[in-house]
Amino acid sequence: MTAAPYNYSYIFKYIIIGDMGVGKSCLLHQFTEKKFMADCPHTIGVEFGTRIMEVNGQKVKLQIWDTAGQERFRAVTRSYYRGAAGALMVYDITRRSTYNHLSSWLTDARNLTNPNTVIILIGNKADLEAQRDVTYEEAKQFAEENGLLFLEASAKTGENVEEAFLEAAKRIYQNIQDGSLDLNAAESGVQHKPSVPQGGRLSSDTQPAKEGCSC
Amino acid sequence: MDQSVAIQETLATEEDCITSDRGHFETLVKAAVRTWHHKVAAFCFICVIVCACSVRLFIYTHRRMAITADDVSLEDIFPVSRHFEVVEVSSPDELAILGADTRIRVSFQEEVLEVSLPFGSHSRFFLGELNKAWSDVCKSSSHVPKFEWLHKHSKTTGGQAVIKQSLTPLGAKMTKLSKQTGLSQRLHTPDAVAHSPAHQGTRAGPEIAARAVQNEWERYGTCLGEGGAGREDRNDMVRSSSHTPANKAQMLSIPQFGLRDNLIRCELLKNEDQYTHLQDFSFFLATYNVNGQAPKESLAPWLSCSSSPPDVYCVGFQELDLSKEAFFFNDTPREPEWMRAVSEALHPDAKYALVKLVRLVGIMLMFYVKREHAGFISEVEAETVGTGIMGRMGNKGAVAIRFRFHNTDVCVVSSHLAAHIEEFERRNQDYRDICSRLQFRLLDPGCPPLAIMKHNVVLWLGDLNYRISDLDVDHVKNLITKKDFETLHNYDQLKRQMDEEAVFEGFVEGDIQFQPTYKYDTGSDDWDTSEKCRAPAWCDRILWRGKNIKQSTYQSHMTLKTSDHKPVSSLLQIGIKVVNEEAYKKKFEEIVRCIDKMENECIPSVTLSRRELHFQDVKYMEHQTESLTLFNDGQVPCQFEFIQKLDEPTYSKPWLTANPPKGFLAQGAQVDIDLEVFVNRSTAPDLNIGLEHIEDILVLHLERGKDYFLSVSGNYLASCYGTPISTLCQLREPIRDMPLPAVRALTKGGESPEGGDKPLGIPKEIWMMVDHLFRNAIKQEDLFQQPGLRSEFQEIRDYLDTGVPDSLPGSNHSVAEALLLFLESLPEPVVPYSFYQQCLDCYASATQSKKVISMLPQCHKNVFDYLAAFLRELLKNSDHNNLDVNILATIFAALLLRSPTKQDLAEKRKTQEFFQHFLVQDLS
Repeated sequence: MTAAPYNYSYIFKYIIIGDMGVGKSCLLHQFTEKKFMADCPHTIGVEFGTRIMEVNGQKVKLQIWDTAGQERFRAVTRSYYRGAAGALMVYDITRRSTYNHLSSWLTDARNLTNPNTVIILIGNKADLEAQRDVTYEEAKQFAEENGLLFLEASAKTGENVEEAFLEAAKRIYQNIQDGSLDLNAAESGVQHKPSVPQGGRLSSDTQPAKEGCSC
Repeated sequence: MDQSVAIQETLATEEDCITSDRGHFETLVKAAVRTWHHKVAAFCFICVIVCACSVRLFIYTHRRMAITADDVSLEDIFPVSRHFEVVEVSSPDELAILGADTRIRVSFQEEVLEVSLPFGSHSRFFLGELNKAWSDVCKSSSHVPKFEWLHKHSKTTGGQAVIKQSLTPLGAKMTKLSKQTGLSQRLHTPDAVAHSPAHQGTRAGPEIAARAVQNEWERYGTCLGEGGAGREDRNDMVRSSSHTPANKAQMLSIPQFGLRDNLIRCELLKNEDQYTHLQDFSFFLATYNVNGQAPKESLAPWLSCSSSPPDVYCVGFQELDLSKEAFFFNDTPREPEWMRAVSEALHPDAKYALVKLVRLVGIMLMFYVKREHAGFISEVEAETVGTGIMGRMGNKGAVAIRFRFHNTDVCVVSSHLAAHIEEFERRNQDYRDICSRLQFRLLDPGCPPLAIMKHNVVLWLGDLNYRISDLDVDHVKNLITKKDFETLHNYDQLKRQMDEEAVFEGFVEGDIQFQPTYKYDTGSDDWDTSEKCRAPAWCDRILWRGKNIKQSTYQSHMTLKTSDHKPVSSLLQIGIKVVNEEAYKKKFEEIVRCIDKMENECIPSVTLSRRELHFQDVKYMEHQTESLTLFNDGQVPCQFEFIQKLDEPTYSKPWLTANPPKGFLAQGAQVDIDLEVFVNRSTAPDLNIGLEHIEDILVLHLERGKDYFLSVSGNYLASCYGTPISTLCQLREPIRDMPLPAVRALTKGGESPEGGDKPLGIPKEIWMMVDHLFRNAIKQEDLFQQPGLRSEFQEIRDYLDTGVPDSLPGSNHSVAEALLLFLESLPEPVVPYSFYQQCLDCYASATQSKKVISMLPQCHKNVFDYLAAFLRELLKNSDHNNLDVNILATIFAALLLRSPTKQDLAEKRKTQEFFQHFLVQDLS
């Protein structure tokens, strides 16, 4: 009854997906550490990062799962899609093949997440304008056709990195606000209170805390 | 005071008083239908009563302290239903009493009642409970609460109570309901316009409330039934009370839950210097024992004596009312009288807001701030402690107000300690009781109650009642005449007790440069001339505790003659921690970032010596192990475990195991993990024909941390072990010499694809082993009973699979064991699973048994007959090899007649008896 709105906190689970070498881990690192990781080894597994952000005046904790991009791990990384509130689907603007594979990533994302999962398309390495292989316009069109948010970003310069995570968070928050995202649904990817990341079986996902909010 | 006991007594057993609050009516609007036996203002209790699923608001009036049910009388009942509203109303002089009592308007249809609730957490709690009850009612739109249980209250209260029962009497019709809805909407609309910030947009408080309402609606909006009022009509309703005057100050407070938030809070506190600076504010502290008198003269000479207007006023009174009524009922007309007198006497050059007034019988404390500072006052709470008769009553004791001014926590105490010159120990005890018993309950339920001494600044004023001892009256008066206050002060009990650290430890008092303030003949400046002729004393004192406090003045005010005491005042300059919001925001963000970083660094992490494990030339029943080292390079101990992937039953393929599969790793420690491949008869068949490969990805999971993928690869060398009899019969060459697809085709198709060579009668591998034994081991002692050597088995297996070396290696025992292992590895036993049941059915009959065997597929039948013949040969030499029918039947029945499911002991015996028919035949 007495808690003011700033007292509320949410946890949003994000996944980052996309081909190998598009800079998924660098985006995560830039976002959590505000630094560029120059020679980032390939992620063989699932990395994990967290950061608190303010979204529409609410403190939100983003819990970000950065997945391996290698094709041979595809079957395993699929286990991690479940219960994601947001998905960052990344391609490399200097490598068309990474863009061409988007539809397959999108299929996975759509099949393995819930209908309310917010997917944002990110064209990474926007600093390498000279080597551009995918135009902004075509990617924008792809995003629009598929109902995705879209940004070009650079994990190197930090350009639009913050924005990418924030834009997705805003959309998720908006979904909560307008009631289209049911917090009590098992796989909403949103929790109402801060808690430690869930461990255990990949298949058993984080259950959102059923906290009624009072005001 | 807890009135809930008295109120509960008036209720029926099934009714429950959830919460109640003390308030008072100020005005009654549109309540003409009822006659109240109290006029314009009356003290009341307002209670939330629950019976079954329905909720009422009961309004009680009371004549005295509510101790039993007789002390309260029920005045009114408001059903908490959809037509019920609670609205916070602002008074026209809202600014002048910012943070003061909360006025709410309770309305139900045309009934309207305004009640003032005391400022503080209790009222907030009360309104919260009321809100909750209301929300619950609205949520269950289908459920229309029945109010018939209320009828008995009209009797028990002697017809005083008017029960608003018209909404849903038994059997209410929908038509009636909607008619009433319309009525109530009409009636509410003018009010809504008048008080709705949405229309006026000027009052910050209600506007916030309206927003809160909006939120509430988003949550519960859909629950409201069709009969309910529309969304817009109710925006002005207070669903959340927004009393706290200082929204600005509140903005700076931090989320109050969780470990993380505590960490932030701690860090913020630790670094307070970096975002606050000290700024002096003037606090005017005043205390006056008025001896039960009503105000008769202006208090301005006392309260407006400073040249410039002080920032804060804390005005304490003692003996406000000495009447029995005040003592027993805590009810006194003196409170408003003195409040008015004080308000009128505050410094004329500034406007002040009364933030809080608290009174216990005759002890009162008022807290005013300059209007412009009101926004920086937050977390205001008030408490009282009685230390009088029985150590509990309110004739002596203290009242206190705590508040946060900018970033400094301040507590002001007005106390009246025990009287009489010899009772200084009692006074010390009162002080200690007040300190230990007076605890502020804070808004945040997670916070423990806050004691007086926990505040940055404690200001203590009042009639502390310490006297001048060890001097006779004349001597005292003489020193006073000479204005030798310094000498006199040495005989002051408070000074002595403080010097002995018996009381007011850590407190400071300024030099006393005024004559004792007690005891005068009322209306004069003459010392007490009554019989008792009390010695003058500095009863009335002002002390402080805390840093950055300087006293500007400390004086008594002789011109005031209303009481037998003189009032005292002190002007303090107190350094208050003022927040630089920009610096605060920066610091806050820095801390959050730092904690984020810490959190990310504390994510468990390990390094793996290798991520790719290759198993070269994996063979049947031959262990192969690859190791990797796990090193905990993180900042925390970690727990690791290989976990299943989605939709897989185990963490790895059945031919692979990790040892250990999970464990705990201290920081900086390491552990070797063995990954072991072992292909047995259940995994061999698919590997033999390339349906399955030595390939897997293991997920090594760290509790609360990262996951690591381990890639396992390798190749399997096909073997006759685990290959069906039918396939082996098609293979004239060792299996390893055959292309994999051909073997696969043979296994799948059964018969030879291109009608080339005629299939062999029995697999050559069986023939090789049996022939070897027949020639070399027919007389071997303990054949089939003594184990072979594992290394020799591997040589034999390789020989069978590759044809190298030229002849079958190994001892007789090893060959015998290799034969048994071969039979065991067959995916389809010699007697195929489909014949198993028939064998069981006819085990008793030799003829029947032979008939079943004659029906086996040709190659299986051949193998069966061949083995049986061989075993019969062995039995001929039982003198040498120590074998008998029983032993051989036991060993071979288990291999030849395998059950598709689990075999029980009886079945096992049947299979042995079945097989015995074939061993004894020649001997019979």
